[in-house]
Amino acid sequence: MTSADLALRNVRKNLRDYTIYFLTLTFGVCVFYSFNAVESQQAIMGASASSGLVFQDFSQIIALVSIFVSLVLGLLILYANRFLVRRRKKEFGIYLTLGMSRGRVSRILIGETVLVGLLSLLTGLALGVSLSQGMALVTAKLMRLPIERMQFVFSPQALIKTTVYFGVIFLLLLVFNTVMVSRQKLINLIQANSRGEWFRTPRLGVSVAMFMVALGCLAVAYAMVLVGGPARALDVSTLRWVLLLVAVGTGLFFFALSGFLIKLLQRRRAIYLRGLNTFVVRQLSSKINTAHVSITLVCLMLAVSIGTLSLGLGVSKSIAYELGRGAPFDATFRAAANPAAGPAYRGVDLTAALEEVGLPLETVASRSLAVRYYEAGLTVPLWLTQNGREERYDVRAYLLRLSDYNAVLALMGQPQIALPQGRYAVNYAVTNAAMARATEAYIASKPTIDLAGERLTAGPDTFHRQVMEVLRNQDFDMTMVVPDRLVEGLPPARDVLHLDYLDPKDRSEALVQQAEDLLRTDSTTRLSLWTRLEVESFADSTSVMLAYVAIYLGLVFLIAAAAVLAIGQLSDMSDSLGRYRTLRQIGTDDKMVDRAVLAQSLTYFGLPLALALAHAVVGLVVAERLLGAFDKGSVVGSGLFTVAVLAVVYGGYFLATYQGSKAMLRRQS
Amino acid sequence: MVVITQPVAENGTPPTILETRDVVKIYGGGQNPTRALNGIGFTVAAGEFVGVMGASGSGKTTLLNCVSTIDTVTSGHILIDGQDITQLRQKDLARFRRQSLGFVFQDFNLLDTLTGRENIALALTILRRPPREVDRRVEAVAAVLGIEPVLDKFPYQMSGGQRQRVASARAIVTEPALVLADEPTGALDSKAAKDLLESFRLLVRQRSATILMVTHDAFAASHCDRILFIRDGQLFYQLVRGDQSRKVFFDQIMRVVGAMGGDPDDVG
Repeated sequence: MTSADLALRNVRKNLRDYTIYFLTLTFGVCVFYSFNAVESQQAIMGASASSGLVFQDFSQIIALVSIFVSLVLGLLILYANRFLVRRRKKEFGIYLTLGMSRGRVSRILIGETVLVGLLSLLTGLALGVSLSQGMALVTAKLMRLPIERMQFVFSPQALIKTTVYFGVIFLLLLVFNTVMVSRQKLINLIQANSRGEWFRTPRLGVSVAMFMVALGCLAVAYAMVLVGGPARALDVSTLRWVLLLVAVGTGLFFFALSGFLIKLLQRRRAIYLRGLNTFVVRQLSSKINTAHVSITLVCLMLAVSIGTLSLGLGVSKSIAYELGRGAPFDATFRAAANPAAGPAYRGVDLTAALEEVGLPLETVASRSLAVRYYEAGLTVPLWLTQNGREERYDVRAYLLRLSDYNAVLALMGQPQIALPQGRYAVNYAVTNAAMARATEAYIASKPTIDLAGERLTAGPDTFHRQVMEVLRNQDFDMTMVVPDRLVEGLPPARDVLHLDYLDPKDRSEALVQQAEDLLRTDSTTRLSLWTRLEVESFADSTSVMLAYVAIYLGLVFLIAAAAVLAIGQLSDMSDSLGRYRTLRQIGTDDKMVDRAVLAQSLTYFGLPLALALAHAVVGLVVAERLLGAFDKGSVVGSGLFTVAVLAVVYGGYFLATYQGSKAMLRRQS
Repeated sequence: MVVITQPVAENGTPPTILETRDVVKIYGGGQNPTRALNGIGFTVAAGEFVGVMGASGSGKTTLLNCVSTIDTVTSGHILIDGQDITQLRQKDLARFRRQSLGFVFQDFNLLDTLTGRENIALALTILRRPPREVDRRVEAVAAVLGIEPVLDKFPYQMSGGQRQRVASARAIVTEPALVLADEPTGALDSKAAKDLLESFRLLVRQRSATILMVTHDAFAASHCDRILFIRDGQLFYQLVRGDQSRKVFFDQIMRVVGAMGGDPDDVG
């Protein structure tokens, strides 16, 4: 029998042991391919120029994230492999005892690794390619892009990339396994099954104290971010402490948990001395004791995963909303000083300029409004709290006549404003939460400006946050609205021309885009155009891409966490088979044993999940504060999505583990 | 389930706890089946300490497996405490094991994650006994076997002899109709073996336990009331200790063991 035959037979024989390993590899490959192939989805969509750019940016982000992801998956696969090999050390020992050469045993192991690797790579790629088709449809819908032609979405680059990345991982596995076989002493292989390590539970007092310290760490960490209300600024150094406390608290929690739990339950004799409870508690306690580091990691990974999944969607929706806000009209032309051409800006009549390039306004616009901003050399100092220090941030401010401001408001369908004697208004459509707080503080101080010998005062009653032009990024200027007469003789700062299109709108859009290219040729001033279509498509695609990155990372972390638990539980099960045999001999029936296995699996999967959920909820509250309120509807929606993903992936691994454990028991009897 | 009425105990004769009737166990079908048990029949009375001896392959382990309901017979009947276990359904067997049988194994089979006390208590908790009763009975049986000092230790912290006595405590704590011991002294040194066997005697005397012990060690067997010698799946010979000293009984056993290779008539 050749080594290849033996390898094939071994894989077939150990199929059940390989299940979780195979599942994890396949999931990993599938997710890796799907997200790296997102760019290829463009093929079926009539993607606009700006969404094309987003696709490009996105593939770069995905490429970066994928390096990290492959690292996580690589470590995970090595971990899974280690357990698989550990279970079979004795078998390899027997091969060696029978006189098989180390080289041959290595070849068998290599054969198995290659076989399972190839199988999961092919299955994962097949799954990934089919997932891509569905994802493409969802992408098109979310990005509001038309599906131009139905065709098979396939990315050769992603295929090659996936194969190469996982190929490298498998290669590492081969090296690892070969070294394992050639380095180990025969006696260690033969006796691999006898369990040497033993861990004594610390004294009750120590356990309780450590458990209390753990709870204390978590409580302090939670309080640091939760107490103080939304007004309290959270800076990076605080967050660093919070993360450290959470990590330490979680570690201590699982380290002290088993001792604490066992002592607590031992006092409750009625529970402890019921059926197999003693056995279950002892099993769990020894398992948590020996695996508390990996359980801590699992818990933290789960928290990151839950947070990323629900935050990713929520934030991406709120970003879409924020970005979409920057489109009160169909289009805005802007003219300002070209930084390259020097500071002097003499003002541009955009209406005339457009006529010059062959675009009279009446051919594209149903309504239009040209507005000029004036330069008075004003900067506003905003004080931001960063890293525990106040930092000054200067914001440029331009003047706008009250009549122009009201005209823009009228075009937007907003109510007009009036300025009382000696007052000016401030309009600043700031989105960043920290900047908004700083601005509010500035306005509350009733700032004054001096113009043409007059002193004007602003206040909260004259503060507005209107988005007054079409703009893709959120770099809105601060505007000071003053009585018309006070800007006489001031130099122009920039000109804008707002348009609402004539129907059909797509024709107007095309004309406007054409005109922009012609305008660009004149370059003493900087001319730019943003249209509502561009902004919305950018907002949609950005939000979809952000959501995808979040889901990608969230899924990988979830798979990693669940797989680590599943592998741990199954390997523990195989170590405990002797104990279950004893239980059966003294008369425990299958139902009792099944219930004991279920109780252990539930606790083992449930505990880290429960703590991770608590971490994630607190994290979401913090994120909401840091990033500004995103709309509550999307939070509920993404929460439900997260629960669904958890149920499928985590629940799937749980079921596979429980069934696998039971199968192991049945095989034994 | 078939319940067969007990023969009425006459004038103080202890009732029968175990009875095997023409038990046959055949392994493997087809060309050359192995008859591991070939129509073996015997009885064990309540309060008896019975040894089973025989060479490797004689069928003594098969007999124990069949009596302990871990294996099934091909034909014949095994009655324990009046109940025919060959008629029990699979799901009733586990219940029967935990209610009516106690086990002592060569390699102890204690749960290494549980303390001595918890190991013993487990036999009771799977019977859903109330906690107070569990505690009381564990203490009581531990006192008889002299293992109170190790009750709160884990098996790896005990000596072999202590482990085996904890295992015996677990077997006896439920007050089973029959305790089955499979080479219980096999992994013990001679001192520990002697202590364990004296503990068995104590259990028989003080707690009227009934013990069926499989052993190949004549010294261990000499502590029994009666020895069943098995060869080729059949009862080959019986020895009753009666009022003889252990030394005399031991010599008798040695003689039978010596003759086992030959004919039963060789035994003097």
